[in-house]
Amino acid sequence: MSVTTRPKPFLEPQYCKGCLRCIEACPRDCITPGTEINAATGLVPVEMHLDNCNGCLLCLQACPEPYGIRLETDPPPPIPAPNTDFVLEDPAKLFGERCVANFSEGDQPDDLIALPACQPLVLKGTYASAIGALLAGCRHVFGYPITPSTEGAELMAKILPKLNGSFVQAVSEVAAVNMMYGAGGAGLPCMTFTSSPGFSLMLEGISYMIGAEVPGVFVNIMRAGPGLGNIAPEQADIKLACRGLGHGNTRAIVLAPSTPQEMLDLTREAFALSFRYRNPVIILGDGYLGQMTGMVKLPTNMTRPGLPAWAVWGDRAHRHNLITSIALAEADLEKHNLHLNRKYAAIAACEQRVECHRCGDAEVLVIACNTPARMAKGAVEAARAQGVKAGLFRPVTIWPFPIDTLEEILPGVQRIIVVEAGPGQLEDELRLALSHAGIAPPPIEHVRRCGGILPAQSAIFDGIMHTEEVLS
Amino acid sequence: MSAFYDHFTRHSHGEGLKARSTHYCPGCGHGVAHRDLAAAIDELGIQDKTVLISPVGCSVFAYYYFDVGNSQAAHGRAPAVALGHKLAHPEAVVISYQGDGDLASIGLAETISIAQMGLPITVIFINNAIYGMTGGQLAPTSLMGQKTSTSPDGRIAAMGQPLKMAELIASLDGPVYVERVALFSSRERVKARKAIKKAITNQIEGRGYSFIEIISECPTHLKMTPQEAEEWVKTKMQPVFPLGVKKDLTVEPWFKRGIPSFEPEAVLGLSGAEPLDETTRRTAAVWPGHLPARDIAIKLAGSGGDGAQTAAMLLTRAAIAAGFDATAIPSYGPESRGGTSYADVHIAEQEVLNPAASEPHALVAFNAPSLAKFAPTVPEGGIILYDCTVVTDPAGLPANRRILPIPLTRIAADLGRPMVKNVVALGALHAALGLLPESGIVDTLRHVLRGQARPAAPE
Ligand code: SF4
Ligand code: SF4
Ligand code: SF4
Repeated sequence: MSVTTRPKPFLEPQYCKGCLRCIEACPRDCITPGTEINAATGLVPVEMHLDNCNGCLLCLQACPEPYGIRLETDPPPPIPAPNTDFVLEDPAKLFGERCVANFSEGDQPDDLIALPACQPLVLKGTYASAIGALLAGCRHVFGYPITPSTEGAELMAKILPKLNGSFVQAVSEVAAVNMMYGAGGAGLPCMTFTSSPGFSLMLEGISYMIGAEVPGVFVNIMRAGPGLGNIAPEQADIKLACRGLGHGNTRAIVLAPSTPQEMLDLTREAFALSFRYRNPVIILGDGYLGQMTGMVKLPTNMTRPGLPAWAVWGDRAHRHNLITSIALAEADLEKHNLHLNRKYAAIAACEQRVECHRCGDAEVLVIACNTPARMAKGAVEAARAQGVKAGLFRPVTIWPFPIDTLEEILPGVQRIIVVEAGPGQLEDELRLALSHAGIAPPPIEHVRRCGGILPAQSAIFDGIMHTEEVLS
Repeated sequence: MSAFYDHFTRHSHGEGLKARSTHYCPGCGHGVAHRDLAAAIDELGIQDKTVLISPVGCSVFAYYYFDVGNSQAAHGRAPAVALGHKLAHPEAVVISYQGDGDLASIGLAETISIAQMGLPITVIFINNAIYGMTGGQLAPTSLMGQKTSTSPDGRIAAMGQPLKMAELIASLDGPVYVERVALFSSRERVKARKAIKKAITNQIEGRGYSFIEIISECPTHLKMTPQEAEEWVKTKMQPVFPLGVKKDLTVEPWFKRGIPSFEPEAVLGLSGAEPLDETTRRTAAVWPGHLPARDIAIKLAGSGGDGAQTAAMLLTRAAIAAGFDATAIPSYGPESRGGTSYADVHIAEQEVLNPAASEPHALVAFNAPSLAKFAPTVPEGGIILYDCTVVTDPAGLPANRRILPIPLTRIAADLGRPMVKNVVALGALHAALGLLPESGIVDTLRHVLRGQARPAAPE
């Protein structure tokens, strides 16, 4: 009988599930099925008789339980102490303290790099958004081509390799959003350009990102639906972005630019918000805005992103991190949802953005966003030229709806006209916001087109003037 | 065993015996595969570099056990998440661990497309021929005749025949190493361990994408003892899913990525920005008094090759260079492919409000359909400029507009370049409108066209 000096296996009966896989693995028949039920587990662990054992450890390799069989030379496992600071216990601390204003320890903050003064650029909206992302420090873009958003991706495909960044044309929008889950989970700013049907496909992934608190920026250049619809501009994804980001308790800040300049500025802003709140941010443009060329002034600085403490980066400092949207125990998931609710409440309180144009003394208040807001502005000016006190209230965030500012303006307003290139989803957001705030509004009318047609300035003007005549 | 946590704190909060035992059923192949993966991570010394992607399926909680960076993906999307991690941090060792429903059913598109990209990630595929987590339904890899809860009478061809993923992946160009291994005997377990280690080594060395399929035991849903399950895998699965190396290319290390650049000059240069130059800036910003409004709308319309879009762009740039605000919007999409192509331009002293030109102050029409379509939209006092080389008989033009028939094509042809008729049109428009300083337009033209052999190519 060969006696070996190699260490022998040691069975930990309480971690053995009695599957017997080790028995067949042992060439020396050292292991036999157990005969006694283990009181702690209710299972029947095997028994080891190691007189003939040569320390080949084949039994150990066969064991599916990490701690079923160990080396006799390894220290016996300490009895695990009851764990009180376990990460999943308190979702509020799931990935480190999440504070709206301050970074927790271990965060590497972003660097701001000064830019020289530049001539204004003349850019399409989608290009302006892409350049805004570059200036925000985004070097990872994932997407799937879809009109009318594709130019943004094309520009990124051209530029990013030269900056050692990555543009990946994924097999689908579903794959693209999950690549964002990966790169965002690694703690880096990433984004996609898409349009309505593609955005629909990404919603599942957005729900996972929100659940796992992964940042990322979605530029949705909305086109007309439902279904394949057409590629002309519409504003019919407001419902999806504000109320329908996949399954579960989901919310994201929804930004609505109306000029190429804002496509750049709000894309930059979107990255900052996305990391501040560890949440995706949605930019809703319309097909017109995506294609519109205009003057774009560059900011005075750009961002070199740091690395948040929660990132799953693949190094020692971040080894303990986990990105997941699972919380198996109901109480854990409820806590996580309450944490998300607090985050949403903080966003609703702090991140309302709006442009008010001639709202101070407005009696007729036009509410519009994106390109229709520009037509509306033209109509307001035309009405003012006729002596009518019209104003434009342009939500820059659709969620959260800028209800606080609206509430201040409303006392003098006799009539609201919601202008949109869509079936009334902006008006729904307005009415919901009014209702939640307990505000009784003046009569709400609307000027709407859909199917890819924008409301004409003349129609908005008529809307403003029409009732004036009736009233007078 | 350091790649396993000492204490599985994520498993039911690490209470009691769960702190050291898995959630897997007794005899489950996942546990054995976990042990092999942990051994490979330990032997390669990469615990501090590893990011493990847990899938959806029985191994959804792989992150309970592995003391590495962990991310848990949506069903089927683990390779996409893995790719995101790898591109974000190329030095990380990214391992996607997936079951058969995840990898070979719902995630097929991700599996194949990302394998074909060939970037160095490691995919470990546990094929146990059945859905575990959802309770024993038909898997894409279930055997013909296999009874499952959704194939109660046995799998028939119309349910799809078992997908042989290792062979499928090996047939792609992207992967460098594909092997199918098993866990049913010590001999096979040794091979499995070696294969996993090699697959990870390929990644560490930047050689490419590796795929290890492990045919594995699910005693619970096979309704067998672990020993019977091992035997079933050996005698029933193995003939359908033959073991062995399916692909093993000798590839020199190639994957190396530079550190992303945040050099302002590079970013600005690639964005097309130019330093502010006081000498060339703002030739004039005085709004000409003769114009009817402080915001002028212009429509340029023609067929696809007439250069209306380029002319609109040039006009917009020239206006912005002159210190005004300006916008251009193209007609786009199918209608612009070969058909009518038009662009709306606005130039405003302060701010362009409505960028659409539904009632343009000036229309430039390059062909008859465009003239017929848009001339009626020009309000009284407006300008209608058209190419009288091609539109010889304009019918029904509205009264009280300045009608300017200009032989754009002929002038351009006389210059030897018929395609510059759009630039000729800009000249004519400039003369008619008197909106922008002439030097500004010429500067803009020079600037935009610098370095180009040919003048403004129509789009
Ligand atoms: S180490 Fe080898 S000989 Fe000893 S019990 Fe395990 S399998 Fe048997
Ligand atoms: S293989 Fe492990 S779990 Fe199974 S019987 Fe042996 S020691 Fe126990
Ligand atoms: S159901 Fe099957 S695959 Fe899942 S843990 Fe149990 S034995 Fe393993």
